[in-house]
Amino acid sequence: MTTQTIGQRTPRVDGEFKLTGRADYAVDHSAPGMLIGYPVPASIAHGTLAGLDLETARAMPGVVDIFHHGHFPTLARSPNSMAQQNVVSEVRLPFEDTRIYYDGQLVALVVAETFEQARAAAHAVRAEYHEEAGAISGLLHTDRDGEWQAGQARSRGEPREAWEQSPVRIDRTYTIAAESHVPMEVHATLAEWRDGRLRVHESSQGVLFQRKAMARIFDIAEEDVEVVSHYIGSGFGNKLFMWPHAVATAAAAREVGRPVRTVMPRQQDMATTGNRPASRQRLRLAADEAGRLTAIRHDSTTETSPVHTHVDAVGSATPSLYACDNVAVGQRLVTVNHGTPCPMRGPGEVSGLFALECAMDELAGELGIDPLDLRRRNHAERDPGKDLPWSSKHLDACYDNAAARFGWSRREPGIGAMRDGDEILGWGMASCTWFAGRQPCAARVELHADGHVTAACGTQDIGTGTYTVVAQTVAELTGVPLSRIEVRLGESSLPAGPLSGGSMATATTLPAVAAATRQALDALKEVATGDGGAFAGVAGESLGVEQGTLTDGGGRRVGFAEVLEGLRLASVTGDGQAAPGDEKTRYSFRSFGAHFVEVRWDPGISRLRVSRVVSDFDIGRAINPATARNQVEGSIVMGIGMALLEGLDYDPRDARLVNNNYADYLIPTHADMPEIDVELLDHPDFAFNEFGARGVGEIGLTGIAAAIANAVYHATGKRLRDLPIRLEHLLVE
Amino acid sequence: MRPFAFDTATDSGAAIAIHGGDDRRAYIAGGTTLIDLVKLDVMRPAALIDVSRLPLAEVERLDDGRLRIGAAVTNSELAHHPLVREHYPLLAQAILAGASTQIRNMATTAGNVMQRTRCPYYRDAAAACNRREPGSGCDALHGINRMHAVLGVSEQCIATHPSDMCVALAALGATLTLEGPEGRREIAFNDFHRLPAEHPEIEHELAPGELITHVTLDTPLVGGGAAYLKLRDRASYEFALASAGAVVALEGEVISDVRLALGGVATKPWRAVEAERALDGQPAVASSFEVAADAALQDAVPREHNAFKIPLARQAIVRALRDATARAGTTTTTRGNQG
Amino acid sequence: MMDHSDAPPQDADALTVTLTVNGETHRLTLAPNVVLLDALRDRLGLTGTKKGCDHGQCGACTVHVDGRAINSCLRLAAMCEGRAITTVEGLARDGALHPVQQAFLDQDAYQCGFCTSGQMMSAAALLDDGRIGDSDAEIREAMSGNLCRCGAYKNILAAIRQAESEARGRGGDA
Repeated sequence: MTTQTIGQRTPRVDGEFKLTGRADYAVDHSAPGMLIGYPVPASIAHGTLAGLDLETARAMPGVVDIFHHGHFPTLARSPNSMAQQNVVSEVRLPFEDTRIYYDGQLVALVVAETFEQARAAAHAVRAEYHEEAGAISGLLHTDRDGEWQAGQARSRGEPREAWEQSPVRIDRTYTIAAESHVPMEVHATLAEWRDGRLRVHESSQGVLFQRKAMARIFDIAEEDVEVVSHYIGSGFGNKLFMWPHAVATAAAAREVGRPVRTVMPRQQDMATTGNRPASRQRLRLAADEAGRLTAIRHDSTTETSPVHTHVDAVGSATPSLYACDNVAVGQRLVTVNHGTPCPMRGPGEVSGLFALECAMDELAGELGIDPLDLRRRNHAERDPGKDLPWSSKHLDACYDNAAARFGWSRREPGIGAMRDGDEILGWGMASCTWFAGRQPCAARVELHADGHVTAACGTQDIGTGTYTVVAQTVAELTGVPLSRIEVRLGESSLPAGPLSGGSMATATTLPAVAAATRQALDALKEVATGDGGAFAGVAGESLGVEQGTLTDGGGRRVGFAEVLEGLRLASVTGDGQAAPGDEKTRYSFRSFGAHFVEVRWDPGISRLRVSRVVSDFDIGRAINPATARNQVEGSIVMGIGMALLEGLDYDPRDARLVNNNYADYLIPTHADMPEIDVELLDHPDFAFNEFGARGVGEIGLTGIAAAIANAVYHATGKRLRDLPIRLEHLLVE
Repeated sequence: MRPFAFDTATDSGAAIAIHGGDDRRAYIAGGTTLIDLVKLDVMRPAALIDVSRLPLAEVERLDDGRLRIGAAVTNSELAHHPLVREHYPLLAQAILAGASTQIRNMATTAGNVMQRTRCPYYRDAAAACNRREPGSGCDALHGINRMHAVLGVSEQCIATHPSDMCVALAALGATLTLEGPEGRREIAFNDFHRLPAEHPEIEHELAPGELITHVTLDTPLVGGGAAYLKLRDRASYEFALASAGAVVALEGEVISDVRLALGGVATKPWRAVEAERALDGQPAVASSFEVAADAALQDAVPREHNAFKIPLARQAIVRALRDATARAGTTTTTRGNQG
Repeated sequence: MMDHSDAPPQDADALTVTLTVNGETHRLTLAPNVVLLDALRDRLGLTGTKKGCDHGQCGACTVHVDGRAINSCLRLAAMCEGRAITTVEGLARDGALHPVQQAFLDQDAYQCGFCTSGQMMSAAALLDDGRIGDSDAEIREAMSGNLCRCGAYKNILAAIRQAESEARGRGGDA
């Protein structure tokens, strides 16, 4: 290797585009003759659509058509298969029937010449409903128990007996309100048909999945669908799989014979394009007197919608985080009248760790030992859930480093014991974990005669830095400077790349990019050593690569461009593939970390603020420590929202979403940001992939809400088990 | 946002003439409330008249010591104005506690007075709301009402008045100058907003076509210390759950004069006259503040989700009075020095 | 349930509006209900300014009008006649990044980039506004009208500090 760019803090290669306004997000695209789609939302959550009065709207200026049940082409559903990569967020097609299943459901799509005309006409559409009683407004407002999900059940040892026989036990129930992803960019689709081929600009975390689903839905060849998502105003999971507005927009474009762009209004976006479902979790922990866990029983219930099944796997980290011989995990699912839930950053495990890590704090209290000490006593030396050794685990170092920087040893354990003027300080901590996964991936790298290199992969950069780490990988292997490397992502016609989700994009993409780079270098060596080549007659394998040149080891260096120009070649290409091997049968792969949190509680005015967070993470190697750290810091901010602010309020009477906007659904502002001190350990996990990276998008959000709730308990003496924690739960009259 | 006609006026007479007393027409200046609500299809004006260019952007001290503020002065300009910072720190604090930098740069003094409630049922054209659509009912009474009012409520409406600036105006005392088809008149600020009672749709005393041209603040309390305390879930960019604005003047250890108003808990900017009465002549100590807070909230009516606002508002009052008292001496000195 | 509605309004007459954006003058024919944000994006092709909420709740649409940061989603385009409008496309001068842009690049003060133009417009206005204090708390409060769901606030603050010290180093007036 001739340069050292992997592991370096380089500025983003796409930075200048984002900073000058030139980055092309889906909503920034237009097409000649484009019309604007504007959705009409249902204003009930449970019933049927009795009629639509479109007379006024149709007569309004600029209106071209209005699509709805009864006036919409017949389409096929997507098979919704993960193996076939055609998963959609909602299998029900738009306008499929007159049933209304949730608030905001698409009941019509107005298509007009301008945005203003489309919006005005949408407001003039009058819908008549037969509203029915009995809307289920949420898991936390219903007596229904839900259906057991056999696929989620895990068990080892004798959890029931062990729990009953243990000397120290706690049995607690925790709830989390449904949360909204609210990425800054709403969902948007621009659909354009040409000669039977569909081209879509979508704000998407998975262009390949959307292409395959669109092909099934419109019954056309996959090659005839192109989905483009060059930049995405993030998604946090709610843009992994497409939603009905994309299908409605594509169908409308075909029907009217012109391109159509639909940008979801924020209010409807929040109601209908995914949420982290509410959860109720019962945690039963038992320990011996030495503080060693003897039983963990984790039973949870989450929500799904009437039109699509989504299981948020809340208990999936529980069997693996701590050493314990007797563990049982079970999950139930309740159908509620909400827009369909979907994965949200750290799906399942973020919710699960809130409950588990609060319960650990409660158990520590029961045992009378320090919460950090309890974690250490139950450190899992191997994965007890899979009965495999860890590939690489440095959780102890996370505890040590973060605790030292935080000053945990100075913690006074008494409730409200740490004061500062009007304020009481509370200190809490929690462990973090997130699984490391990897998918098959393809990539293409081309070395060009003008000296620049292109790398292409059908994955996306959702703000995590994928453009940059791909460029770093190519630079590492070729020695070509970053400024001469052009990365293409976010097009479904590029070599098949992964979803941007599950913290898997980096570990999945980089090995394929490396393979493609090596293929391209081999192709270059082949031509260089062939007839007329700069190294004609030399054995290809004897050539080395240094700073964008081929070298023969004897002092002769010839630049890539010179090699190609000498042969009058424009470029050489390398196609690379990479996939996980059998390493999963030998190791368990997980990332770990620890959060230490300080809150300040002013009981005189019921003001609670997170003032300081110190965290350490063991994520393997950070390809770019700047972008990796940024993600973790952002997760901490999001975790403050989860713990103290965020919750979708569905009116218990009719299941309509009340806080469907940024003013009423509160996320942290700049002023809510605490002092944040994040350290990333550098222990590359080479058993996982050649770069040792395990991914970092999600782990920072695990544990943080628990650490905050634990700090709140330390400050106030109130053990709040329901998120979000609001001041009315703490207020002392 | 339905289509509407648009006109620009450069003086108040022209604006009023264009309006013509037709209640389907509306004045627009900052637009931060109006455009928001027109986009939601909650307000459906047939025409908008741009009054942002009216020559009403001055802040001036009158001969009698009062401060006259032009209707078009933006919230930012007002909060940072030297005369406001020096003589009416409560107003500066309250404005800066509201909304965001951008909104404060847009919103005007008169527009802030005319701000509409943030009740989510008011803002949802499909919900029942007597304020938006008289006689349709009130979905907030038995709905999600955590943000709603506990003071000045009726069985027709419990919508909170959202302004921070108006809490300061209520405490400081002010006069609004109105201009309309019938000429010019003045009205006390605290008489301008109406309680919802049986007619929540009538929010204020403006007659058709009338325009606020000036807000004139009463002379400042001599030696008054000021504190605006806003309590909310997040640290910024959120409407108050409860807020209190207080000005306290002392003679020795005793309260000689006090102004107190509340936000986030009432259907209009709420001058807490019972509390002021309870404080008059009392020692400036915590027990007096607590008695006053109880007096301020004795008529509060809680609903399912907002009962916490009563103790929270008590806390806001007690702390704001404490902080205002602590600042009282300093202000006297400053004023003395600068004559 | 039936939505209430009054008589259908007619499409009101279009207006001719002259907008001065980044120093260039544009004459547009617009419906009165077009807001500045949509005029910039849909009519002038200046798509660097983003729509996050369309209701003044997020700050992604922040631009400068006569030097002050405003939410362009809440300002009618017709009310901007004669005003000097600056968007993110007008921040860089002579091909060089504005100090705020350079600082955002150096400090990695963004992730997805969608709120970023608004963040930078607020930051640039803040650095030119001597009325706003210099403490971290005051800067953070002044920047709180720009939500960042990626949560890059720490680096945004660092970028503002960098741009501020560069401005001071150049002897730039505050």
